[in-house]
Amino acid sequence: MKKAVVNLSAIGFALLFLLPLVWMIVVSLKPDGVSATNVRDWVDFSDLTLDNYRKIFNSSGILKWMLNSFLIGTITTVISLLISSLGAFAFSQKRFRTKVVLYVFVASGLLIPVEALLIPLYDTVLHLQLLDNMWGIILPGLTNPLGIMLLKQFMDGIPQNYVEAARLDGCRDFRLWRSVFVPLTSSAMVSVGIFYFILSWNNFIWPYIAITSEEHMVLAAALPTFLSNNTLLVNNIMAASAIAAIPAMAVFIVLQKNIVQGVAMTGIKG
Amino acid sequence: MLHDSVAKRRSLKALAAELSAIAFLVPFLVPFLVFYVWPVVKGGWMSLHVWGVAGKQRFVGLDNYAKILRDDNFYANLWHSFYFVLIFVPLVIVFGLVLALLVNRKMPMRALFRSVYFLPYVLSVSIVCFIWMRMLDSGSGLVNSILAAFGLPGANWLTDPDWAWWSIAITTVWWTVGFVMVLFLAGLQEIPVEFYEAANIDGANSYQRFRHITLPGLSGVMRVQIFYQVIASLKLFGQVHIMTQGGPGDTTNTFVRYIYLTGFKKDLFGLASAQSLLFCLIMLIITAAQYRFMNKRED
Repeated sequence: MKKAVVNLSAIGFALLFLLPLVWMIVVSLKPDGVSATNVRDWVDFSDLTLDNYRKIFNSSGILKWMLNSFLIGTITTVISLLISSLGAFAFSQKRFRTKVVLYVFVASGLLIPVEALLIPLYDTVLHLQLLDNMWGIILPGLTNPLGIMLLKQFMDGIPQNYVEAARLDGCRDFRLWRSVFVPLTSSAMVSVGIFYFILSWNNFIWPYIAITSEEHMVLAAALPTFLSNNTLLVNNIMAASAIAAIPAMAVFIVLQKNIVQGVAMTGIKG
Repeated sequence: MLHDSVAKRRSLKALAAELSAIAFLVPFLVPFLVFYVWPVVKGGWMSLHVWGVAGKQRFVGLDNYAKILRDDNFYANLWHSFYFVLIFVPLVIVFGLVLALLVNRKMPMRALFRSVYFLPYVLSVSIVCFIWMRMLDSGSGLVNSILAAFGLPGANWLTDPDWAWWSIAITTVWWTVGFVMVLFLAGLQEIPVEFYEAANIDGANSYQRFRHITLPGLSGVMRVQIFYQVIASLKLFGQVHIMTQGGPGDTTNTFVRYIYLTGFKKDLFGLASAQSLLFCLIMLIITAAQYRFMNKRED
Protein backbone atom coordinates (compact mmCIF):
# COMPACT_ATOMS: atom_id res chain seq x y z
CA MET A 1 0.00 0.00 0.00
CA LYS A 2 2.67 2.46 1.05
CA LYS A 3 4.80 1.34 -1.85
CA ALA A 4 1.95 1.91 -4.30
CA VAL A 5 1.49 5.47 -3.02
CA VAL A 6 5.18 6.21 -3.46
CA ASN A 7 5.22 4.70 -6.95
CA LEU A 8 2.15 6.70 -7.88
CA SER A 9 3.79 9.90 -6.72
CA ALA A 10 6.82 9.06 -8.87
CA ILE A 11 4.49 8.68 -11.84
CA GLY A 12 2.67 11.88 -10.93
CA PHE A 13 5.90 13.85 -10.84
CA ALA A 14 6.98 12.33 -14.15
CA LEU A 15 3.73 13.43 -15.79
CA LEU A 16 4.12 16.88 -14.29
CA PHE A 17 7.62 17.11 -15.74
CA LEU A 18 6.52 15.95 -19.17
CA LEU A 19 3.34 17.99 -19.37
CA PRO A 20 4.96 21.30 -20.44
CA LEU A 21 6.97 19.51 -23.13
CA VAL A 22 4.01 17.56 -24.47
CA TRP A 23 1.88 20.69 -24.41
CA MET A 24 4.58 22.54 -26.35
CA ILE A 25 4.44 19.91 -29.08
CA VAL A 26 0.64 19.73 -29.15
CA VAL A 27 0.30 23.52 -29.43
CA SER A 28 3.00 23.67 -32.09
CA LEU A 29 0.93 21.29 -34.23
CA LYS A 30 -2.30 23.27 -33.89
CA PRO A 31 -3.53 26.08 -36.17
CA ASP A 32 -3.17 29.71 -35.10
CA GLY A 33 -5.14 30.61 -32.03
CA VAL A 34 -5.79 27.10 -30.72
CA SER A 35 -3.91 26.91 -27.46
CA ALA A 36 -4.97 23.40 -26.48
CA THR A 37 -6.03 24.19 -22.95
CA ASN A 38 -8.92 21.74 -22.84
CA VAL A 39 -9.20 18.02 -23.30
CA ARG A 40 -11.21 18.39 -26.51
CA ASP A 41 -8.30 20.12 -28.27
CA TRP A 42 -5.88 17.41 -27.16
CA VAL A 43 -7.83 14.53 -28.61
CA ASP A 44 -8.90 16.36 -31.76
CA PHE A 45 -6.44 15.21 -34.40
CA SER A 46 -8.35 16.64 -37.36
CA ASP A 47 -6.76 20.08 -37.27
CA LEU A 48 -3.11 19.08 -36.87
CA THR A 49 -0.83 21.12 -39.10
CA LEU A 50 2.84 21.71 -39.83
CA ASP A 51 2.27 25.32 -40.86
CA ASN A 52 3.89 26.69 -37.71
CA TYR A 53 7.07 24.76 -38.38
CA ARG A 54 7.05 25.89 -42.01
CA LYS A 55 6.64 29.48 -40.93
CA ILE A 56 9.55 29.33 -38.47
CA PHE A 57 11.87 27.60 -40.92
CA ASN A 58 11.02 30.13 -43.61
CA SER A 59 11.17 33.30 -41.55
CA SER A 60 14.10 32.66 -39.25
CA GLY A 61 17.65 31.36 -39.36
CA ILE A 62 16.87 28.75 -36.75
CA LEU A 63 18.86 25.98 -38.43
CA LYS A 64 21.83 28.30 -38.84
CA TRP A 65 21.60 29.30 -35.15
CA MET A 66 21.55 25.66 -34.14
CA LEU A 67 24.54 24.95 -36.32
CA ASN A 68 26.37 27.93 -34.77
CA SER A 69 25.60 26.69 -31.25
CA PHE A 70 26.75 23.22 -32.18
CA LEU A 71 29.97 24.46 -33.78
CA ILE A 72 30.82 26.78 -30.88
CA GLY A 73 30.02 24.05 -28.35
CA THR A 74 32.13 21.47 -30.16
CA ILE A 75 35.15 23.73 -30.72
CA THR A 76 35.04 25.01 -27.14
CA THR A 77 34.82 21.48 -25.80
CA VAL A 78 37.63 20.06 -27.92
CA ILE A 79 40.06 22.90 -27.22
CA SER A 80 39.13 22.96 -23.52
CA LEU A 81 39.80 19.24 -23.16
CA LEU A 82 43.14 19.55 -24.91
CA ILE A 83 44.45 22.50 -22.90
CA SER A 84 42.96 21.21 -19.63
CA SER A 85 44.58 17.82 -20.08
CA LEU A 86 47.97 19.39 -20.82
CA GLY A 87 47.69 21.67 -17.80
CA ALA A 88 46.49 18.86 -15.57
CA PHE A 89 49.52 16.81 -16.63
CA ALA A 90 51.87 19.56 -15.49
CA PHE A 91 50.13 19.92 -12.12
CA SER A 92 49.89 16.20 -11.57
CA GLN A 93 53.22 14.85 -12.84
CA LYS A 94 55.78 17.64 -13.09
CA ARG A 95 57.84 18.95 -10.24
CA PHE A 96 58.40 22.70 -10.33
CA ARG A 97 58.76 25.54 -7.88
CA THR A 98 55.83 27.72 -8.86
CA LYS A 99 53.39 24.81 -8.86
CA VAL A 100 51.33 25.73 -5.80
CA VAL A 101 51.22 29.42 -6.69
CA LEU A 102 50.15 28.65 -10.24
CA TYR A 103 47.55 26.13 -9.11
CA VAL A 104 45.93 28.63 -6.77
CA PHE A 105 46.08 31.24 -9.54
CA VAL A 106 44.36 28.92 -12.02
CA ALA A 107 41.77 27.74 -9.46
CA SER A 108 40.91 31.38 -8.71
CA GLY A 109 39.20 31.26 -12.09
CA LEU A 110 36.26 29.65 -10.33
CA LEU A 111 35.71 32.68 -8.11
CA ILE A 112 34.42 35.31 -10.50
CA PRO A 113 31.58 34.40 -12.86
CA VAL A 114 31.23 35.89 -16.31
CA GLU A 115 28.16 37.78 -15.07
CA ALA A 116 30.48 39.97 -13.02
CA LEU A 117 32.90 40.54 -15.90
CA LEU A 118 30.48 41.48 -18.65
CA ILE A 119 31.64 45.09 -19.06
CA PRO A 120 35.44 44.65 -19.14
CA LEU A 121 35.09 41.42 -21.13
CA TYR A 122 33.03 43.30 -23.69
CA ASP A 123 35.72 45.97 -23.77
CA THR A 124 38.46 43.34 -24.24
CA VAL A 125 36.63 41.47 -26.98
CA LEU A 126 35.78 44.78 -28.66
CA HIS A 127 39.47 45.73 -28.81
CA LEU A 128 40.40 42.34 -30.22
CA GLN A 129 37.70 42.94 -32.87
CA LEU A 130 36.00 39.71 -31.97
CA LEU A 131 32.53 41.09 -31.27
CA ASP A 132 29.86 39.46 -33.40
CA ASN A 133 32.30 36.67 -34.14
CA MET A 134 32.26 33.00 -33.18
CA TRP A 135 35.72 33.30 -31.60
CA GLY A 136 34.48 36.06 -29.32
CA ILE A 137 32.33 33.37 -27.70
CA ILE A 138 34.76 30.46 -27.90
CA LEU A 139 37.89 32.08 -26.48
CA PRO A 140 36.32 33.43 -23.25
CA GLY A 141 34.80 29.95 -22.86
CA LEU A 142 38.28 28.43 -22.51
CA THR A 143 39.02 30.04 -19.15
CA ASN A 144 37.09 27.57 -16.97
CA PRO A 145 39.65 25.86 -14.71
CA LEU A 146 37.34 23.05 -13.65
CA GLY A 147 38.65 20.77 -16.42
CA ILE A 148 42.24 21.12 -15.22
CA MET A 149 41.25 20.52 -11.61
CA LEU A 150 39.15 17.43 -12.34
CA LEU A 151 41.59 15.84 -14.77
CA LYS A 152 44.45 16.46 -12.33
CA GLN A 153 42.59 14.40 -9.72
CA PHE A 154 42.26 11.55 -12.19
CA MET A 155 45.89 11.76 -13.27
CA ASP A 156 46.97 11.70 -9.61
CA GLY A 157 45.28 8.33 -9.39
CA ILE A 158 47.29 6.73 -12.21
CA PRO A 159 49.80 4.25 -10.72
CA GLN A 160 53.39 5.49 -10.78
CA ASN A 161 54.72 2.21 -12.19
CA TYR A 162 52.93 2.94 -15.48
CA VAL A 163 54.84 6.20 -15.61
CA GLU A 164 58.14 4.56 -14.73
CA ALA A 165 57.68 1.86 -17.34
CA ALA A 166 56.98 4.47 -19.99
CA ARG A 167 60.00 6.50 -18.87
CA LEU A 168 62.20 3.41 -19.18
CA ASP A 169 60.94 2.99 -22.72
CA GLY A 170 62.36 6.44 -23.35
CA CYS A 171 59.12 8.42 -23.25
CA ARG A 172 59.66 12.15 -22.83
CA ASP A 173 56.97 14.29 -21.21
CA PHE A 174 54.90 15.00 -24.26
CA ARG A 175 54.78 11.38 -25.40
CA LEU A 176 54.08 10.27 -21.85
CA TRP A 177 51.09 12.62 -21.79
CA ARG A 178 49.85 11.55 -25.20
CA SER A 179 50.32 7.80 -25.00
CA VAL A 180 49.77 7.11 -21.29
CA PHE A 181 47.77 9.89 -19.63
CA VAL A 182 45.33 10.78 -22.39
CA PRO A 183 44.19 7.18 -22.98
CA LEU A 184 43.99 6.38 -19.26
CA THR A 185 41.87 9.45 -18.50
CA SER A 186 39.64 9.12 -21.55
CA SER A 187 36.46 8.27 -19.64
CA ALA A 188 36.98 11.23 -17.32
CA MET A 189 37.54 13.37 -20.41
CA VAL A 190 34.20 12.27 -21.83
CA SER A 191 32.49 13.39 -18.61
CA VAL A 192 34.30 16.70 -18.52
CA GLY A 193 33.63 17.18 -22.22
CA ILE A 194 29.89 16.66 -21.80
CA PHE A 195 29.93 19.19 -19.00
CA TYR A 196 31.73 21.77 -21.15
CA PHE A 197 29.40 21.18 -24.08
CA ILE A 198 26.24 21.66 -22.01
CA LEU A 199 27.75 24.78 -20.46
CA SER A 200 28.49 26.22 -23.87
CA TRP A 201 25.19 25.14 -25.45
CA ASN A 202 23.21 26.78 -22.65
CA ASN A 203 25.37 29.87 -22.35
CA PHE A 204 22.96 32.77 -22.63
CA ILE A 205 24.12 36.10 -21.28
CA TRP A 206 27.47 36.41 -23.02
CA PRO A 207 26.38 35.52 -26.59
CA TYR A 208 23.30 37.66 -26.02
CA ILE A 209 25.61 40.64 -25.54
CA ALA A 210 28.52 39.79 -27.82
CA ILE A 211 26.66 38.63 -30.94
CA THR A 212 24.65 41.24 -32.80
CA SER A 213 24.06 39.99 -36.32
CA GLU A 214 21.44 37.42 -37.13
CA GLU A 215 23.78 35.15 -39.04
CA HIS A 216 26.26 34.73 -36.16
CA MET A 217 23.62 34.26 -33.47
CA VAL A 218 23.55 31.17 -31.32
CA LEU A 219 20.29 29.42 -30.56
CA ALA A 220 19.89 30.33 -26.87
CA ALA A 221 20.45 34.04 -27.49
CA ALA A 222 18.75 34.30 -30.86
CA LEU A 223 15.31 33.07 -29.88
CA PRO A 224 14.35 35.90 -27.48
CA THR A 225 15.56 38.53 -29.95
CA PHE A 226 13.82 36.92 -32.90
CA LEU A 227 10.57 36.51 -31.05
CA SER A 228 10.51 40.03 -29.71
CA ASN A 229 11.15 41.45 -33.19
CA ASN A 230 8.27 39.56 -34.74
CA THR A 231 4.64 39.34 -33.84
CA LEU A 232 4.15 35.63 -33.48
CA LEU A 233 1.31 33.60 -32.08
CA VAL A 234 1.61 31.01 -29.34
CA ASN A 235 1.59 28.25 -31.93
CA ASN A 236 4.55 29.71 -33.83
CA ILE A 237 6.51 30.27 -30.63
CA MET A 238 5.91 26.70 -29.54
CA ALA A 239 7.04 25.43 -32.93
CA ALA A 240 10.26 27.42 -32.60
CA SER A 241 10.79 26.08 -29.09
CA ALA A 242 10.11 22.53 -30.24
CA ILE A 243 12.56 22.83 -33.14
CA ALA A 244 15.20 23.99 -30.67
CA ALA A 245 14.31 21.48 -27.96
CA ILE A 246 13.93 18.30 -29.96
CA PRO A 247 17.60 17.85 -31.03
CA ALA A 248 18.81 18.50 -27.46
CA MET A 249 16.30 16.00 -26.07
CA ALA A 250 17.16 13.43 -28.75
CA VAL A 251 20.87 13.67 -27.96
CA PHE A 252 20.05 13.31 -24.29
CA ILE A 253 17.94 10.21 -24.84
CA VAL A 254 20.72 8.56 -26.85
CA LEU A 255 23.56 9.52 -24.50
CA GLN A 256 21.63 9.70 -21.23
CA LYS A 257 23.86 7.34 -19.32
CA ASN A 258 27.03 9.24 -20.19
CA ILE A 259 25.40 12.60 -19.62
CA VAL A 260 24.02 11.74 -16.19
CA GLN A 261 27.34 10.22 -15.14
CA GLY A 262 29.27 13.19 -16.49
CA VAL A 263 27.06 15.66 -14.66
CA ALA A 264 27.30 13.68 -11.43
CA MET A 265 31.08 13.48 -11.63
CA THR A 266 31.76 17.12 -12.48
CA GLY A 267 29.10 18.35 -10.07
CA ILE A 268 30.38 16.45 -7.08
CA LYS A 269 34.07 17.06 -7.49
CA GLY A 270 33.54 20.63 -8.64
CA MET B 1 85.07 27.03 -8.50
CA LEU B 2 83.72 23.50 -8.59
CA HIS B 3 80.89 24.41 -6.21
CA ASP B 4 79.94 27.37 -8.34
CA SER B 5 79.50 25.36 -11.48
CA VAL B 6 77.54 22.66 -9.68
CA ALA B 7 75.22 25.29 -8.23
CA LYS B 8 74.88 26.93 -11.61
CA ARG B 9 74.09 23.65 -13.28
CA ARG B 10 71.55 22.86 -10.60
CA SER B 11 69.79 26.18 -10.99
CA LEU B 12 69.84 25.79 -14.76
CA LYS B 13 68.25 22.39 -14.33
CA ALA B 14 65.60 23.84 -12.03
CA LEU B 15 64.91 26.55 -14.57
CA ALA B 16 64.56 23.96 -17.32
CA ALA B 17 62.12 21.95 -15.17
CA GLU B 18 60.18 25.12 -14.48
CA LEU B 19 59.96 26.02 -18.14
CA SER B 20 59.05 22.56 -19.34
CA ALA B 21 56.22 22.42 -16.78
CA ILE B 22 54.97 25.87 -17.68
CA ALA B 23 55.07 24.95 -21.37
CA PHE B 24 52.27 22.49 -20.64
CA LEU B 25 50.27 25.23 -18.94
CA VAL B 26 50.73 27.94 -21.54
CA PRO B 27 47.85 26.85 -23.82
CA PHE B 28 45.48 27.28 -20.88
CA LEU B 29 47.17 30.34 -19.40
CA VAL B 30 47.02 32.45 -22.55
CA PRO B 31 43.20 32.58 -22.89
CA PHE B 32 42.95 32.63 -19.08
CA LEU B 33 45.10 35.75 -18.85
CA VAL B 34 43.46 37.53 -21.77
CA PHE B 35 39.80 36.71 -21.08
CA TYR B 36 39.71 36.36 -17.30
CA VAL B 37 42.62 38.02 -15.49
CA TRP B 38 42.86 41.04 -17.76
CA PRO B 39 39.11 41.80 -17.60
CA VAL B 40 39.26 41.63 -13.80
CA VAL B 41 42.09 44.21 -13.78
CA LYS B 42 40.52 46.30 -16.51
CA GLY B 43 37.18 46.25 -14.71
CA GLY B 44 38.83 47.71 -11.62
CA TRP B 45 40.42 50.45 -13.73
CA MET B 46 37.20 51.22 -15.60
CA SER B 47 35.30 51.50 -12.33
CA LEU B 48 37.36 54.60 -11.48
CA HIS B 49 36.30 56.43 -14.63
CA VAL B 50 33.38 57.75 -16.53
CA TRP B 51 33.54 55.34 -19.42
CA GLY B 52 31.24 54.74 -22.37
CA VAL B 53 31.15 52.22 -25.15
CA ALA B 54 33.29 54.67 -27.14
CA GLY B 55 36.01 54.63 -24.46
CA LYS B 56 37.41 56.44 -21.48
CA GLN B 57 36.07 59.91 -20.75
CA ARG B 58 37.53 61.06 -17.44
CA PHE B 59 38.96 59.86 -14.16
CA VAL B 60 36.57 60.23 -11.22
CA GLY B 61 38.25 58.19 -8.49
CA LEU B 62 35.76 56.52 -6.21
CA ASP B 63 32.79 58.63 -7.32
CA ASN B 64 31.12 55.70 -9.06
CA TYR B 65 31.14 53.72 -5.83
CA ALA B 66 29.77 56.66 -3.86
CA LYS B 67 27.03 57.01 -6.45
CA ILE B 68 26.08 53.33 -6.18
CA LEU B 69 25.90 53.41 -2.41
CA ARG B 70 23.49 56.34 -2.67
CA ASP B 71 21.36 54.56 -5.30
CA ASP B 72 18.15 53.03 -3.98
CA ASN B 73 18.04 50.65 -6.94
CA PHE B 74 21.31 49.10 -5.82
CA TYR B 75 19.80 47.99 -2.53
CA ALA B 76 16.49 47.02 -4.12
CA ASN B 77 18.04 44.85 -6.82
CA LEU B 78 20.52 43.29 -4.43
CA TRP B 79 17.62 42.39 -2.18
CA HIS B 80 15.72 40.91 -5.14
CA SER B 81 18.66 38.63 -5.92
CA PHE B 82 18.83 37.47 -2.32
CA TYR B 83 15.07 37.07 -2.16
CA PHE B 84 15.29 34.67 -5.08
CA VAL B 85 18.00 32.72 -3.22
CA LEU B 86 15.72 32.50 -0.19
CA ILE B 87 12.72 31.11 -2.04
CA PHE B 88 14.49 29.06 -4.71
CA VAL B 89 17.33 27.26 -2.93
CA PRO B 90 15.25 25.47 -0.25
CA LEU B 91 12.71 24.53 -2.91
CA VAL B 92 15.20 23.02 -5.33
CA ILE B 93 17.21 21.24 -2.63
CA VAL B 94 14.19 19.64 -0.94
CA PHE B 95 12.51 18.65 -4.19
CA GLY B 96 15.81 17.37 -5.63
CA LEU B 97 16.28 15.21 -2.55
CA VAL B 98 12.71 13.88 -2.77
CA LEU B 99 13.20 12.90 -6.41
CA ALA B 100 16.56 11.28 -5.65
CA LEU B 101 15.02 9.20 -2.86
CA LEU B 102 12.13 8.23 -5.15
CA VAL B 103 14.31 6.86 -7.92
CA ASN B 104 16.86 5.38 -5.56
CA ARG B 105 14.33 2.74 -4.50
CA LYS B 106 13.73 -0.52 -6.29
CA MET B 107 10.99 0.26 -8.76
CA PRO B 108 10.10 -0.70 -12.31
CA MET B 109 11.63 1.52 -15.00
CA ARG B 110 13.77 3.41 -12.55
CA ALA B 111 16.15 4.69 -15.24
CA LEU B 112 13.24 6.05 -17.24
CA PHE B 113 11.96 8.09 -14.30
CA ARG B 114 15.42 9.42 -13.62
CA SER B 115 15.75 10.51 -17.25
CA VAL B 116 12.34 12.19 -17.28
CA TYR B 117 13.17 14.26 -14.21
CA PHE B 118 16.52 15.23 -15.68
CA LEU B 119 15.28 15.95 -19.21
CA PRO B 120 14.45 19.69 -18.85
CA TYR B 121 18.03 20.38 -17.75
CA VAL B 122 19.33 19.86 -21.30
CA LEU B 123 17.14 22.66 -22.69
CA SER B 124 18.54 26.14 -22.93
CA VAL B 125 17.15 28.91 -20.79
CA SER B 126 15.28 30.65 -23.59
CA ILE B 127 13.28 27.54 -24.51
CA VAL B 128 12.45 26.89 -20.88
CA CYS B 129 11.27 30.47 -20.51
CA PHE B 130 9.10 30.39 -23.64
CA ILE B 131 7.37 27.21 -22.57
CA TRP B 132 6.64 28.57 -19.11
CA MET B 133 5.64 32.04 -20.28
CA ARG B 134 2.92 30.33 -22.29
CA MET B 135 2.09 27.84 -19.55
CA LEU B 136 1.62 30.70 -17.09
CA ASP B 137 -0.14 33.06 -19.49
CA SER B 138 -3.19 34.45 -17.73
CA GLY B 139 -5.43 34.14 -20.79
CA SER B 140 -4.41 31.15 -22.90
CA GLY B 141 -2.07 29.40 -20.44
CA LEU B 142 -2.39 25.78 -19.41
CA VAL B 143 -1.91 26.42 -15.69
CA ASN B 144 -4.92 28.68 -15.32
CA SER B 145 -7.02 26.32 -17.46
CA ILE B 146 -6.16 23.36 -15.24
CA LEU B 147 -6.95 25.40 -12.13
CA ALA B 148 -10.25 26.43 -13.67
CA ALA B 149 -11.10 22.80 -14.43
CA PHE B 150 -10.83 22.14 -10.70
CA GLY B 151 -12.89 25.23 -9.93
CA LEU B 152 -9.91 27.16 -8.61
CA PRO B 153 -9.23 30.80 -9.41
CA GLY B 154 -6.31 31.54 -11.75
CA ALA B 155 -3.74 34.27 -11.34
CA ASN B 156 -1.74 36.73 -13.38
CA TRP B 157 1.37 34.71 -12.69
CA LEU B 158 3.88 36.91 -14.43
CA THR B 159 2.36 40.35 -13.94
CA ASP B 160 1.19 40.11 -10.35
CA PRO B 161 4.02 41.19 -8.01
CA ASP B 162 2.94 38.54 -5.48
CA TRP B 163 3.32 35.72 -8.00
CA ALA B 164 6.09 36.83 -10.37
CA TRP B 165 8.95 35.56 -8.20
CA TRP B 166 7.21 32.28 -7.53
CA SER B 167 6.61 31.82 -11.25
CA ILE B 168 10.30 32.30 -11.94
CA ALA B 169 11.25 30.00 -9.07
CA ILE B 170 8.92 27.23 -10.30
CA THR B 171 10.21 27.58 -13.85
CA THR B 172 13.78 27.32 -12.59
CA VAL B 173 12.99 24.35 -10.38
CA TRP B 174 11.46 22.49 -13.33
CA TRP B 175 14.56 23.31 -15.37
CA THR B 176 17.33 22.45 -12.89
CA VAL B 177 15.98 20.13 -10.20
CA GLY B 178 17.12 17.08 -12.23
CA PHE B 179 20.69 18.23 -11.82
CA VAL B 180 20.31 18.39 -8.04
CA MET B 181 18.64 14.96 -8.08
CA VAL B 182 21.53 13.38 -10.00
CA LEU B 183 24.05 14.69 -7.50
CA PHE B 184 22.02 13.45 -4.53
CA LEU B 185 21.68 10.08 -6.27
CA ALA B 186 25.44 9.85 -6.63
CA GLY B 187 25.75 10.78 -2.95
CA LEU B 188 23.27 8.07 -1.96
CA GLN B 189 25.41 5.41 -3.65
CA GLU B 190 28.30 6.31 -1.34
CA ILE B 191 26.37 5.42 1.82
CA PRO B 192 27.37 1.87 2.83
CA VAL B 193 24.49 -0.62 2.64
CA GLU B 194 25.68 -2.13 5.95
CA PHE B 195 24.50 0.99 7.77
CA TYR B 196 20.95 0.32 6.67
CA GLU B 197 21.22 -3.39 7.44
CA ALA B 198 22.45 -2.65 10.96
CA ALA B 199 19.63 -0.14 11.44
CA ASN B 200 17.10 -2.73 10.31
CA ILE B 201 18.41 -5.19 12.85
CA ASP B 202 18.06 -2.50 15.51
CA GLY B 203 14.45 -2.06 14.39
CA ALA B 204 14.78 1.51 13.11
CA ASN B 205 11.77 2.78 11.15
CA SER B 206 12.08 4.48 7.79
CA TYR B 207 12.01 7.98 9.26
CA GLN B 208 14.80 7.08 11.71
CA ARG B 209 16.86 5.56 8.90
CA PHE B 210 16.41 8.73 6.87
CA ARG B 211 17.18 11.03 9.78
CA HIS B 212 20.20 9.18 11.17
CA ILE B 213 21.78 7.50 8.14
CA THR B 214 20.67 9.06 4.86
CA LEU B 215 20.76 12.71 5.87
CA PRO B 216 24.16 12.60 7.60
CA GLY B 217 25.49 10.49 4.72
CA LEU B 218 24.46 13.19 2.27
CA SER B 219 25.80 16.12 4.26
CA GLY B 220 28.85 16.54 2.03
CA VAL B 221 26.85 16.62 -1.20
CA MET B 222 24.24 18.77 0.52
CA ARG B 223 26.72 21.46 1.47
CA VAL B 224 28.30 21.54 -1.98
CA GLN B 225 24.85 21.73 -3.54
CA ILE B 226 23.55 24.51 -1.31
CA PHE B 227 26.68 26.52 -2.00
CA TYR B 228 26.43 25.94 -5.74
CA GLN B 229 22.75 26.84 -5.85
CA VAL B 230 23.22 30.02 -3.80
CA ILE B 231 25.89 31.25 -6.20
CA ALA B 232 23.90 30.19 -9.27
CA SER B 233 20.77 31.95 -7.95
CA LEU B 234 22.63 35.17 -7.28
CA LYS B 235 23.66 35.17 -10.94
CA LEU B 236 20.03 34.97 -12.12
CA PHE B 237 19.54 36.86 -15.36
CA GLY B 238 18.07 34.90 -18.28
CA GLN B 239 14.75 33.96 -16.69
CA VAL B 240 13.91 37.45 -15.46
CA HIS B 241 15.20 39.11 -18.60
CA ILE B 242 13.09 36.93 -20.88
CA MET B 243 10.00 36.21 -18.78
CA THR B 244 9.30 39.42 -16.89
CA GLN B 245 11.85 42.01 -18.11
CA GLY B 246 12.38 42.69 -14.44
CA GLY B 247 8.71 43.47 -13.97
CA PRO B 248 6.07 44.01 -12.88
CA GLY B 249 7.54 47.43 -12.18
CA ASP B 250 10.99 46.63 -10.93
CA THR B 251 10.07 43.75 -8.64
CA THR B 252 12.03 40.99 -10.40
CA ASN B 253 15.03 43.02 -11.47
CA THR B 254 18.11 41.15 -10.27
CA PHE B 255 21.58 42.46 -9.58
CA VAL B 256 23.02 41.06 -12.80
CA ARG B 257 20.24 42.65 -14.82
CA TYR B 258 20.92 45.93 -13.00
CA ILE B 259 24.56 45.74 -14.16
CA TYR B 260 23.43 44.79 -17.68
CA LEU B 261 21.05 47.76 -17.93
CA THR B 262 23.57 50.24 -16.52
CA GLY B 263 26.28 49.09 -18.92
CA PHE B 264 24.55 48.17 -22.12
CA LYS B 265 21.34 50.18 -22.06
CA LYS B 266 22.53 53.38 -20.38
CA ASP B 267 26.09 53.17 -21.75
CA LEU B 268 27.61 53.82 -18.31
CA PHE B 269 30.50 51.31 -18.46
CA GLY B 270 32.41 52.87 -15.57
CA LEU B 271 29.46 52.81 -13.23
CA ALA B 272 28.53 49.27 -14.31
CA SER B 273 32.11 48.12 -13.68
CA ALA B 274 31.92 49.48 -10.17
CA GLN B 275 28.62 47.63 -9.69
CA SER B 276 30.27 44.45 -11.00
CA LEU B 277 33.14 44.81 -8.57
CA LEU B 278 30.73 45.17 -5.66
CA PHE B 279 28.95 42.09 -6.97
CA CYS B 280 32.28 40.20 -7.02
CA LEU B 281 32.97 41.34 -3.50
CA ILE B 282 29.61 40.04 -2.30
CA MET B 283 30.21 36.69 -4.02
CA LEU B 284 33.71 36.43 -2.52
CA ILE B 285 32.36 37.12 0.96
CA ILE B 286 29.77 34.37 0.50
CA THR B 287 32.40 31.98 -0.84
CA ALA B 288 34.72 32.69 2.08
CA ALA B 289 31.89 32.31 4.59
CA GLN B 290 30.78 29.01 3.11
CA TYR B 291 34.34 27.76 2.87
CA ARG B 292 34.88 28.40 6.57
CA PHE B 293 31.53 26.88 7.40
CA MET B 294 32.29 23.73 5.42
CA ASN B 295 35.72 23.23 6.91
CA LYS B 296 34.50 23.84 10.42
CA ARG B 297 31.80 21.24 10.12
CA GLU B 298 34.25 18.65 8.86
CA ASP B 299 36.56 18.92 11.89
